[in-house]
Amino acid sequence: MSDAVVSPDAPDELRLTGITKGYLGVQALKGVDLTVKRGSIHALAGQNGAGKSTLIKIISGAETPDRGSIELGGRQMKFREPIDAQNAGIHTIYQELSLVPSLSVAENIFLGQLPKRGRTAVDWSRMKAGARAALDRVGFDLDVRRPVASFSVAEQQAVELAKALHKDARLLLLDEPTSTLPLPDVDRLFTVLRSVAEQGVTLLYISHRMDELYSLCNEVTVLRDGRNAAEYSTASSTASDVVTAMIGKSLEGSIADAALRGERSPRLGSGHTGEVLMSVANLSEDERVENVNFELRRGEVLGISGLIGSGQSELAGLLAGARRKTQGTITLDDKAVVFKNPRDAIRRGIGLLPQDRKAEGFIPEMGVAGNITLASLPMFSRLSVIDSHAEKKVASQMVERLGMKVSSVNQPMKTLSGGTQQKAILARWLARSSRLLICDEPTRGVDVGAKEDMYELIRDFARSGGTVIISSSEITEAMMCDRVLVMARGKVVAEFEHDDIDPQGHALISEFA
Amino acid sequence: MTNTTLTPPPRSQAPQSPDARPTGTTLGIVKRLLPKSYLLLVLLAIIIVGYYVSADFLTARNAQNVIAAASITAVLAIGQFFVILTGGIDLSVGSTLAMSTVIIALTLQSGMDAGLATGVTLAACAFAGLINGVLIVWLRIPPFIATLAMMSAIKGFSYIIQSTSLIQITNQAFINAFSSGSWLWVRNPVAIFIIVAVIAALVAKFTTFGRSLYAIGGNPEAARLSGLPVARNLLITYTLSGFLAGLAGLIAAAQLQQGSSLIGVGYELDAIAAVVVGGASLMGGKGDPISAVIGVFVLATIINIMNLVGISSEPQLVIKGAVIIIAVFLSSAGGVQRISGFFSSHFGRSRVTAPA
Repeated sequence: MSDAVVSPDAPDELRLTGITKGYLGVQALKGVDLTVKRGSIHALAGQNGAGKSTLIKIISGAETPDRGSIELGGRQMKFREPIDAQNAGIHTIYQELSLVPSLSVAENIFLGQLPKRGRTAVDWSRMKAGARAALDRVGFDLDVRRPVASFSVAEQQAVELAKALHKDARLLLLDEPTSTLPLPDVDRLFTVLRSVAEQGVTLLYISHRMDELYSLCNEVTVLRDGRNAAEYSTASSTASDVVTAMIGKSLEGSIADAALRGERSPRLGSGHTGEVLMSVANLSEDERVENVNFELRRGEVLGISGLIGSGQSELAGLLAGARRKTQGTITLDDKAVVFKNPRDAIRRGIGLLPQDRKAEGFIPEMGVAGNITLASLPMFSRLSVIDSHAEKKVASQMVERLGMKVSSVNQPMKTLSGGTQQKAILARWLARSSRLLICDEPTRGVDVGAKEDMYELIRDFARSGGTVIISSSEITEAMMCDRVLVMARGKVVAEFEHDDIDPQGHALISEFA
Repeated sequence: MTNTTLTPPPRSQAPQSPDARPTGTTLGIVKRLLPKSYLLLVLLAIIIVGYYVSADFLTARNAQNVIAAASITAVLAIGQFFVILTGGIDLSVGSTLAMSTVIIALTLQSGMDAGLATGVTLAACAFAGLINGVLIVWLRIPPFIATLAMMSAIKGFSYIIQSTSLIQITNQAFINAFSSGSWLWVRNPVAIFIIVAVIAALVAKFTTFGRSLYAIGGNPEAARLSGLPVARNLLITYTLSGFLAGLAGLIAAAQLQQGSSLIGVGYELDAIAAVVVGGASLMGGKGDPISAVIGVFVLATIINIMNLVGISSEPQLVIKGAVIIIAVFLSSAGGVQRISGFFSSHFGRSRVTAPA
């Protein structure tokens, strides 16, 4: 499937054997082997907690393995600090970029080894020329004097790649580099990565998105529970094989499977809708959302789809009172309402699952129970004294009902997996008996199994009479809604009924640009 | 993964977990209030050291002195704790304490009834705290800057209203109530700080207000999106800090029997140090008020021991600094785990390698 060609007798660039690593009683890696051929693009797949990040940390020198050996280009390596790995030519591009936003592109690329003229002066002209040459290797032409912060995420990523190549990287570790990229930029990044691989650099690629693995990579190593689960060549396997190996059971008939094979996805809503719950007229927020109009009926699951940054996330925030509108009206139950803050919206039965879980969703040090009851504390207290019995009871019920993997309801939220965290935030609104759930990218950073659970929970909520708005940049997710509004540059540009969308979602995609 | 394949995956085991035990009993409540940290052991170790180095240390009289001296800082530290819990800081409490001594001295001098004078003073200090809150919540000035400015402004205000060098306090009813008097063999300032500490511990652990402060400090945006009254609770917190600084000022004024704007210089830093030694994080969202009080006693006891063995005040400052670093390393920087991890990886016999 991949068009990059690596000769089968290419030498091994990286060879890990029997890597183990434990953290205070938890064995994250239980003897992992990994062989990556020089100049290939090799994918590392696995659910959250399978050990991918630990393995990446070990290869990049951020952690030392308890046992096992690392060979790079046939030589035994021992990394004590990330700088050791970097000196050996291993560079990591993380999800969150690690550039200095206020420094120029050239300074970022040369950071730590600024070229000098004389004893102390920086040789700016040599630096700018070098930076342009490095950017040229990744096929970008940027003004290297401008600060990094003034460029788009895609361009910043190019700077990061250029920086690694400039430092003579031979092995690049890419940890979900596309999670913050709009679709056209993803294609461009892939072109760059393929050309980098052709220059003889080896790439180890991590992503949750199967379509990406199959369009970009040559080989896939699947981890499960800290062990090797399977090894595939992308030319002779399907995404379904990889996902099955990841979760250790067959996916047949599940939503995730249908989505993977690009089939018509089962809808989230029941299709039965009641009277109008909310209507929105001329809703605008400066430069982000422009003149949005729609009606939402009880029991409906409404999708708001668009590329990242098209305004769907901002619209979700406006409807939940998290952002302030500059114009327009929201009518709820035939009454015009003004949301000055989230509190106003929550009081009227609206709950928001925010897009950035870590920054907006939960209190990291607080227990699961505290996070679940956060929006409904008055319901669990008398004269502002918390009834901890009632709180624990409801939290335990939610844990059971949503299938959350926790050791106790007091387990700190930060120690849970992304999927369980997302379920706890959903539980917060179920405990509050919200009637309208606004989900902003509800399955971002959630592993395959938990993703399916989330869909099932949203379906349950809609079936029991709840109303849902799903704002998403994932086509498959939008296609599961009763009705989809497509947004581009802050405006609603199209509207589709569930049945009018073709199985591949081309109808939606064609409206995106 | 060895034989665990026989049991179903642990999807939800919370209802049977040990945390679901009844906590309604008095013993349960006391247990939950006690901090689960190494701090009490540190305090105990310090007391043992004190017992060996000075014969005068473990006497009822000395203990009384330590506790009485610590009660002022303890009240300040409790107010400071709530502010730090929200992720803020209050640098103005030392100045507010000084203002409190000046106002009470002035009002008593003018012949006002002691009870009314106390009320007026506390109200004025709470108002100073409220101004902090308004600057931070409505004008969005960072807490460090807002309270730094208020520290200067309040100090200047007390100089102005004081106008003479210092004002004597002669009102015996007031001195009795806040310093020399006692109630059930407990001296009044000690009783005051114990009552304040117990109320603070209950508020932090069992009320919606306390819970929401932990949430605001832990993640302000998540707290806002969950509909918590963030602005209102921050206003209350800074007002409370001002009020408690005023209360500490009343104790100080009664002990010194005078009011002066020179009292309380640097007290805000003692309070912050105690809160941090007590395991709270300056990032917010962590800690508890009882630990902050224990932090006060750790520092106060060490100073007391050094006084008893005759260490002069300059090396005392150095040692105090070292103690703050060690205590914070042990309590909040994960020092205990790092030390035990070091020992087990160098000398241990596979303690850590038990299968998950």
